[in-house]
Amino acid sequence: MSFLEQVGRASIVRVEDAGALTIQFVSALRKIPRALPIVGSRRRWRSAVGQMLAIGASALPMSGAMSLCTGFILALQSASELRRFGALQYVVDLVAIGFTRELGPLITALSVSGRSASAISAEIGTMVVTEEIDALRVMGLDPVEFTLAPKYLAALVTVPCLTILSTLCGIVAGYLFLAFSMDMSFRIYFQAVAEAVLLRDVVFMLLKSLVFATIIVHVGFLQGVRVHGGPEAVGHSTTAAVVKSTFLVLFADLIATAVFYFMGWSSVQ
Amino acid sequence: MMNRVTEKTENAVISVRGVSMSYGETRVLDQVNLDVCRGEILVLLGGSGSGKTTLLKHLLGLAKPDTGSITIGGVDITCCSPSELAKVRRRIGVAFQAAALFNSLSVEDNIALPLRELTRLADSTIKLVVWMKLLAVGLSDAGSLYPTELSGGMRKRAAVARAMALDPEILILDEPSAGLDPIVSAGLDELILFLKRSFGITILVVTHEMDSAFHIADRVAMLYQGRLIAVDKKEQFIRNAHPRIRQFIDRQADTMPRVGAGDFIEAYLGETTNDK
Repeated sequence: MSFLEQVGRASIVRVEDAGALTIQFVSALRKIPRALPIVGSRRRWRSAVGQMLAIGASALPMSGAMSLCTGFILALQSASELRRFGALQYVVDLVAIGFTRELGPLITALSVSGRSASAISAEIGTMVVTEEIDALRVMGLDPVEFTLAPKYLAALVTVPCLTILSTLCGIVAGYLFLAFSMDMSFRIYFQAVAEAVLLRDVVFMLLKSLVFATIIVHVGFLQGVRVHGGPEAVGHSTTAAVVKSTFLVLFADLIATAVFYFMGWSSVQ
Repeated sequence: MMNRVTEKTENAVISVRGVSMSYGETRVLDQVNLDVCRGEILVLLGGSGSGKTTLLKHLLGLAKPDTGSITIGGVDITCCSPSELAKVRRRIGVAFQAAALFNSLSVEDNIALPLRELTRLADSTIKLVVWMKLLAVGLSDAGSLYPTELSGGMRKRAAVARAMALDPEILILDEPSAGLDPIVSAGLDELILFLKRSFGITILVVTHEMDSAFHIADRVAMLYQGRLIAVDKKEQFIRNAHPRIRQFIDRQADTMPRVGAGDFIEAYLGETTNDK
């Protein structure tokens, strides 16, 4: 009985979370125009630019390095198997397609989730504890417009850019490996990459990165808003933000990839 | 006496009628009736957990009561539209307990924020207004500092200056003297009196500090376990015979039930006899 109760309670919490996220998502979408440069408010746009630097530019070294490492690892692991069949050239396809469809967006999302979901939830959580959110509402300023919209806009702009760059990093890592191990020339490698990667893979990558950006920002913000009590609650919510957003990113990735696969878009002709 | 009471109700700026509110089983506010009149300083006293923060949240429209109405300047904020609520809020300035200054903005920008966001004033005008507000709260040389660089008393003053930015009719101060030493806290009391004298605004102060309350108040209200147990002019309030008020004024602790070893044995025996 108590087990059933626990399951029930946990499910209710999940459903509530999903509902709160949806409401927040819709209201953020409605407020995003306020953060756009010409049609919106100049101050929101300025804060969005600041957020782009915080979420995007400063995450670049981290996600770039992670993709370089992963690209190298992927090339090494696949080469050791493919070499046995004399099919070393397929390493190119594996790295190129693997990064465009999967690893580029995923690694970027994981690094952004670690850096920005925690930062957003800590910032908002502190604002809740120090009553700054209440102060905004009492002044007649909408906290969603004031804090969430610029962050969301910044993430929607920067995460796809980061994804492109880290995909390139991964592909370059594959090149470095092949250049050292079988003296493959730069030109041949990138011609093979261009042949392997289809436009729809790139579109799929960008769509995924938009979904991941949405998850990271909204989970971080919701965890921040949920803070009750003192400073230690901010710590808990920061941890929860990273754990939940990382998991949700992976889960969304699974669903998206499954859809891609079962719709038959993933076969290479 | 009765005459004065009815007259006061007529020029009430804030009028709370039968407000009740519960969190689950716990009653946080129980049939609260309160009027704040134009131009007065009303001090709302109450111990920890008496419901004063909750009442404040209701006055600001941050929470909705289960029953009852709250009328501010003729608008019932418990059932009005968001845009009407926003209009009402523009007539209220609030200085929160933790000051709630935005840490990423300098003191000047904090005060300028509501002016920039909610008015169409020119930058030069805003600068002038900010300077006047800083002067009024005695912070004229701290405008370029950031909230983290301010002392506790200065933060509270800056919060008051921001609350005053839009020239509100009503100023609400949540625990203005919490965490401050007596000298700084006395300085804030003087500031509150000065604001009332020179701008004639209505001020509602929520606090648990008796000394400061009696120094600044025109009237004092006391919340206890979610109920308003007294609302009176401070001269009468001091003579109020309610045991909780006497306890508050005379600074006496709650009497703890004394527990000795004998009680445990008796309780144990009582349980065993009940079993039989």
